Amino acid sequence: MRKKKWLNTSLAVITAVSLLLAGCSSNNNDGGSKTNTNANDSTDGNAVDNTDPVTFSYFGFGTNIDVMASETTIGKILQEQTGVDWKMEYVVGDPSTKAGVMIAGGEYPDVISPVGELSKLLNAGAYIPLNDLIEKHGPNIKRVYGEYMDKITHEDGNIYILPFTANVGGYLNDPDAGSNIWIQRRVLKEFGYPEVKTLDQYFDLIVKYQEKYPSVDGKETVGFVTFAGEQGQFYTITNAPMHLAGYPNDGNVLVDMETHEAKLYMATEHEKRWLKKLNEMNAKGLVDPETFTANGDQFKAKLTSGRVLGFVGYIWQMADAMNNLKTAGNDDLRYVSLPIVFDESITDAYMDPPSFVNNRGLGISVSAKDPVRIIKYWDNLLKEENQRLVQWGEEGVTYSVNEEGRFIMSAEQLANRNDNEFKRKYGWAYFDYEWPRYGDNSVYEDGNAHLPARQPEVANVNYTDGDRELLNAYGIETFSGFFAQPVERPWYPAWSIEKEQGSPEQIFNQKAGDLQQKFYPKLVFATEAQFESVWNDYLAEFGKLDAAGFEKFMTDKVKARIAGVW
Amino acid sequence: MEKHAVQLRGSTADDSRLRAFFKVLSRQKMLMLMSLPFLAWVIVFKYVPLWGWTIAFQKYKLARDLFDQTWVGLDNFAFLFREEQFYLVLRNTLVMSSVNLVLGFVTAILLALLLNELRRVYFKRTVQTISYLPHFISWVVAANIVQTALAPEGIFNVLLLQLNIIDKPVLWLGVGEYFWGILGATEVWKNVGWNTIIYLAAITTIDPTQYEAAEIDGASRLQRMWHITLPGIKPVIVILLIMNLGHILESGFEPQYLLGNGMNVEYSENLDIFVLKYGIQMNNFGLATAAGMFKTVVSFIFLIVANNLAKRLGESRLY
Repeated sequence: MRKKKWLNTSLAVITAVSLLLAGCSSNNNDGGSKTNTNANDSTDGNAVDNTDPVTFSYFGFGTNIDVMASETTIGKILQEQTGVDWKMEYVVGDPSTKAGVMIAGGEYPDVISPVGELSKLLNAGAYIPLNDLIEKHGPNIKRVYGEYMDKITHEDGNIYILPFTANVGGYLNDPDAGSNIWIQRRVLKEFGYPEVKTLDQYFDLIVKYQEKYPSVDGKETVGFVTFAGEQGQFYTITNAPMHLAGYPNDGNVLVDMETHEAKLYMATEHEKRWLKKLNEMNAKGLVDPETFTANGDQFKAKLTSGRVLGFVGYIWQMADAMNNLKTAGNDDLRYVSLPIVFDESITDAYMDPPSFVNNRGLGISVSAKDPVRIIKYWDNLLKEENQRLVQWGEEGVTYSVNEEGRFIMSAEQLANRNDNEFKRKYGWAYFDYEWPRYGDNSVYEDGNAHLPARQPEVANVNYTDGDRELLNAYGIETFSGFFAQPVERPWYPAWSIEKEQGSPEQIFNQKAGDLQQKFYPKLVFATEAQFESVWNDYLAEFGKLDAAGFEKFMTDKVKARIAGVW
Repeated sequence: MEKHAVQLRGSTADDSRLRAFFKVLSRQKMLMLMSLPFLAWVIVFKYVPLWGWTIAFQKYKLARDLFDQTWVGLDNFAFLFREEQFYLVLRNTLVMSSVNLVLGFVTAILLALLLNELRRVYFKRTVQTISYLPHFISWVVAANIVQTALAPEGIFNVLLLQLNIIDKPVLWLGVGEYFWGILGATEVWKNVGWNTIIYLAAITTIDPTQYEAAEIDGASRLQRMWHITLPGIKPVIVILLIMNLGHILESGFEPQYLLGNGMNVEYSENLDIFVLKYGIQMNNFGLATAAGMFKTVVSFIFLIVANNLAKRLGESRLY
């Protein structure tokens, strides 16, 4: 008898466990079957728009703070139009782990902005095809994305995400474009605003300035820093040779304008020239020893201290530090980015050519309760008046219109538009980017710019006296005046070419990146005599990787894009 | 156990042997009941996930059934063992966990012995509290503290400069060779107090009369520590050592991940970070599982060897 009881208990445990397992797998099945049914959910496309209150969930793999859309001004206005509210959540911690957990669980939020996790989610069948939904319920979606249809259509003929870069009504360049090589303004001022074009000229200025002022206000000046201390930011330093050689940001390849061959610049003369220069600067004591170890906060603290004379970094990596310096009010301590290249003969390519990034966007998941409502919400969002709302706000409140019909902002309105707190409260921080939208370079029917920052009238309000002095000294109107006009590159940007999970290309990328992380510090901090031998070690290690295979993959993809297959 | 064995040997028929077994079982009903939840825990969290080992032989894709997966045999293991980087991270893992093991044991036992000798309760409590505290700080915060302290303008460099031990600031985290030492010291700082708890508990079980007898025989304090306290906690030390040897391939993840950077990567990257980079972040779960299996097998070997060694030396052991 007792023995049986014992048996029973163990049986119970086993049953419980198998129930648990069954529970997990049945969930997965749900996810799978929904893929097939959801697209047909839209039974009556012509029905009157339903504005019953409903709340959908939004998940972004970018960084932001969670919010209910209706708590923001813009979200509230859109809710009044449609009845839809959003519970908006953003990734905390490692995005790829989060994506894995989401997929393994088989439960998704209604809409997902995948950022870097697109291929993973697509592989798992997390998105529903939008083709039919757009056809039936999306007149505005068709207007905005119409000419990009082939670029947003996935290889299997379905549209899964709506990207953020569909430009509408013309093409407006950023009046305040920048490069990723920066110099402190007092250095330029000291030497009477000289022309700085090459890397040698740039470093010469820094050398001369530091000789003259080894310390300012009792603090030692720091010659040059890079934002390469954080593992995820290492591309800051590895991308530089590409830009210096006169190419735009195509990731880790240079694409030839004539032959359209994609070539790696890792372990080439370009990279060597850049590292050799840093090595020389280090010998002169100009490279900050913490350049490979300081984390993001430490890096930004250095910049805001005003001690740094020059640095390399993209604006989106340290915009808050630049803003703080601007707010602090001393224009001499602020920075300006310059069109630095290797030689005078090279034309810089810092200004982005017209581009379409098709692997960032927003899609509807297989768990979505009501895809039709969502697509209608998006369609409504893409109406020109609502696009104006998510960028400019409300007329008379956050911007005004002058007699010529141009949109303008007062200094105060502009300060609000740039203020992180206000942007959250008003909703720009949530609605001006990771949604189906007009691209940044778009122009409205009335000729106004879609982005306030691209409206010359607004850019002008933004300039301080120091800005104007600098611009006048160089005889240019806006900061974009420093840079050459972009050239059309139909494949641009090559970095957005998706590499399949666990594919040889992806493993190559990881290994090549590891190698760079290992050797860059050695190369920069080597004595000048050692440099050549360390470089040869680096080449030997690099030789073990399948670079040719990677280049072939990229070349094929670039050529396919030129032929119109995205 | 001995007593029951005698009973069992006493009975002749199978039936009576069984009856004796159930008699003991019913006598220990309460103990059985108490261990049941843990049994369930072990099954659910340690045995059921073993199914996942099948992933190591697949090109695994998430959210698909077992039957929809592509089976690739030993490809994942082949990738692992052919990868040069794997041997580097293996070396780092072994060195770092050995450093942690040795430092962790020595410092914790030493501190426990010292704490035990303290007479003033308030002082003892204060020291204990202070030494426990770092254990409860998250590694993210702890790593930031370490980074800041070791920065060129950090307290550590300032101190050494003042004492004229070094003549210019050292970039501690920028020299790979220093990393193992820094990690070991950080682990000690963070965990030494916590690790003493079990030894202090073991010390309290030592019969006080032994100390009294020793005192009468004229043993000094150090002699009492050496001849009474240490032998008294030896079984605990040996058991813990065996168990920790089973974790020899787990050198931790957060500290290496957070303190690691391009300049010390050759010394700081361990197996877990390797698995994260090449396995999980690339959705290559097959590789990650293969590495996990490898870890388990190695741990198992270490555990058994250590246990047999203990057996041969006549020490207390796990089984």
